[in-house]
Amino acid sequence: MEVVANAQRARSFGELASGWPLLAALLAALVCAAPALAVLFGALDADAAGDGAGNLLRDSVIGTVTLTLVAGAIATVLGAAAAWLVTLCAFPGRALFEWLLVLPLAAPVYVLAYAYGAITGPGGPVPIGLSGLAGAGFVYVVGLYPYIYLSTRAAFVSQNVCALEAARALGAGPWRTFATVAAPLAWPGVAAGGALAAMEIAADYGAAAYFGASTITTGVFRAWFSRGEPQLAMQLASLLLIGALVFLWLERAARGRRGFAGGSARWRALKPIRLSPLAGLGATAFCATLALLGALIPIAWLLRLASYRAFADFATLGEPLVRSLVIAGVGAALTLAVSAVIALAARRLAGRIGLFAAAIGYAAPGAVTALGALTVFALLREAGVVGGISGAAAITMLFWVYASRFAAAGAQPIEAGLTRVTRNMADVGRTLGAGALRRAWRIELPIAAPAAVAGALIVFVEILKELPATLVLRPFDFETLATRAHAYASDERLVQAAAPSLMITLAGLIPVILLSRRLTRSRAGERE
Amino acid sequence: MTLRSRLFTAFAAAAALAVVACSPAEKAKDAGADTSAETNAVNVYSSRHYDSDTAVFAAFTAKTGIDVRVVQAEGNQLLERLKAEGEYANADVVITVDAGNLDRLVEANLLQPATSAALDGVPAQFRDPQNRWFGFLKRARVIIYARGVVDPAQIASMDALATPAFKGKVCARTSTNLYNLSMMAARIERDGPEKSLAWARGIAGNFARQPQGSDSDQLRAVAAGQCQVAIANHYYLIRFRRSADPSDRAIAEKLDVVLPDQAGAGTHVNISGAGLAAHARNRANAIKLIEFLTTAEAQQIMSDKNNELPVASGVTLSPELAALGAFKEEVVDYGTFGERQPEAQRLFDEAGWK
Repeated sequence: MEVVANAQRARSFGELASGWPLLAALLAALVCAAPALAVLFGALDADAAGDGAGNLLRDSVIGTVTLTLVAGAIATVLGAAAAWLVTLCAFPGRALFEWLLVLPLAAPVYVLAYAYGAITGPGGPVPIGLSGLAGAGFVYVVGLYPYIYLSTRAAFVSQNVCALEAARALGAGPWRTFATVAAPLAWPGVAAGGALAAMEIAADYGAAAYFGASTITTGVFRAWFSRGEPQLAMQLASLLLIGALVFLWLERAARGRRGFAGGSARWRALKPIRLSPLAGLGATAFCATLALLGALIPIAWLLRLASYRAFADFATLGEPLVRSLVIAGVGAALTLAVSAVIALAARRLAGRIGLFAAAIGYAAPGAVTALGALTVFALLREAGVVGGISGAAAITMLFWVYASRFAAAGAQPIEAGLTRVTRNMADVGRTLGAGALRRAWRIELPIAAPAAVAGALIVFVEILKELPATLVLRPFDFETLATRAHAYASDERLVQAAAPSLMITLAGLIPVILLSRRLTRSRAGERE
Repeated sequence: MTLRSRLFTAFAAAAALAVVACSPAEKAKDAGADTSAETNAVNVYSSRHYDSDTAVFAAFTAKTGIDVRVVQAEGNQLLERLKAEGEYANADVVITVDAGNLDRLVEANLLQPATSAALDGVPAQFRDPQNRWFGFLKRARVIIYARGVVDPAQIASMDALATPAFKGKVCARTSTNLYNLSMMAARIERDGPEKSLAWARGIAGNFARQPQGSDSDQLRAVAAGQCQVAIANHYYLIRFRRSADPSDRAIAEKLDVVLPDQAGAGTHVNISGAGLAAHARNRANAIKLIEFLTTAEAQQIMSDKNNELPVASGVTLSPELAALGAFKEEVVDYGTFGERQPEAQRLFDEAGWK
């Protein structure tokens, strides 16, 4: 009787209408959205906007819409094409590109902007003068395509070979198989990666500000700090957040409600598509261009700058490096816990609220999130709950802001991983009398673990690169690689900024390569 | 090991690492800061993030035995943090670049008067009338021009850059930059909003390219022939002249500098300043540090390393700085910048200066 009662009461973690799983999901939503919402509400009583606000509003919206759509679309096409080539085709250098193509993920976009500003600027080796929207768009494309590359590749890799073989057995050629089976199966991965990249673009401040591109994010800063009009800033920020919600909704609509039935659990290696020599050369050139523009050229440029100081700056980076690795490690673990709660509940209302809250946090510029956290902090202080931002409070605030900013980046892959939990598995657990929590712990999380690791690595790299929140919320004498790089770069001392920038990239390389290897190994068919 | 125990281990290890890496130093230091007892330290919130300041703090510690602990962030962010922390703020001294930032701190009641005989020596022009902040370094907003291309006599004033003669020849960074906002704030104070708007329109109409990049990038653009004149702070040219990067020195060769408005109001000068935080716990130490910042000894270090101009007398200038020569500085009321900067941004936006 008890088994039956359990089965009726609890269907899955996310299906619970009450109890603490629901609370956990809503709490996770609060963690993610509170800073951004605090900022919005805080501005309701501010003054009205003054002269020239119309120009600012118009330029900002045009800039952000153009960048997210155009740069986002180009990055999506390039990233998805690279993923398809590397995963399903054979061509010279394929094994190398498998991980080379992920490298740009390790370099902060603002570092790319500084590098390309100098490389294409007057007196640089390629003086074509990248600037404005074009400049920002260029670094977004070459810096962010790995988001799509990774998620698309994960989607290709996790595909059931049987489906593809069935297509071939039914007489479909490689291209038809791709078009009718592989591509539709990979579409959720492409859409998820594209959405992440678009939100990154919308939230970016550093590159847009450097290239003088008017975007909503730079507009928020202009309105708030330069014009002293917080209300105008909030109008702009709310546009950004509404845009993120619409985008997430579109992405989920594009992904569709289609479920793909699992078929057999037997996996085998898929024979790669052999490209003709010419096409193979083209594929090599294509992948090489992406890796060169996104990572190798900027890294070479930074190395050249660092060489002017005989690489001496590296000696002073030991402590910031340890700090960066520790806060990124712990931050990623905590953020992932929030991501997991949201992803587990994603099929139900509380989880969907969580997903949207995470999207809000992800699309909000880091500095806005940090200010929002300060606003919430001030409320807590007035309520007598906390004191100053001393060591422990500062670190707690930092981890909170990281969770708010990056939970979406962790939730996306976990949610994708959870799609492998079939109805049968849940039913078996239920029949055996396992409650929702127990099933989440024993069945759902272990199955999603590889995807969770991918999410953790992405969040780790994100925190490593995070700047504005770390800058303002840190305790005394707390230097990370990012704050060190910023101190020099904002003072236009790019030669001195080169060493910490390189270190961020190097520290990010390890997880990025791990991520790529994990993806390769998770190709079930190749383990036989 | 099962996945769960592995997860637990990883989590526990991460938490332990965090405690080890983040807390011992912090705990020891914050224990003192959280009580009202004075410690032998001074806590600084600074928007200056230069190696020169680290050197000055080290010199201060060597001299007094007082430990200097620093949080560095942008001026506006520090302001928000101080507001959020209220009376619990651990800051004793607040240091910012730009007079507007100092003024906003004053308006938000985040600074308090500091009085001492030594601080009375700071020239009245460079300190708050109520002693809530003291300027210690100056930066001049100058005109950089292509040597041999532009006759310096033609660019004796900032107004000249807004005349039709310079159509398509001017480079400047975006108007959100504090240096531009303060320069415009001083202009509004002097000429009124209408004339200032007309000047900004003239500059915006003369741009060789849309504003982008840093002050250094404007210098590079002039050297490359993209524009003939640029507006920048004085020390960027000096930094290029003293750079470790040979291509920077090659750029400096092609450039020269005019300190504008010598026949008029004088060259616009902005300041870095320090003030006593409203809720300072280590008050005596804080005043000692502010006093030290106003000495020739401290400013010698900062001027040497960062090429800024000292407020104190008795500082020996580097040959490159000395080459600028003595010049007339615009006398402004820095206490108006907090109010004028937003107005400046609105006028810039109206003028189309991106």
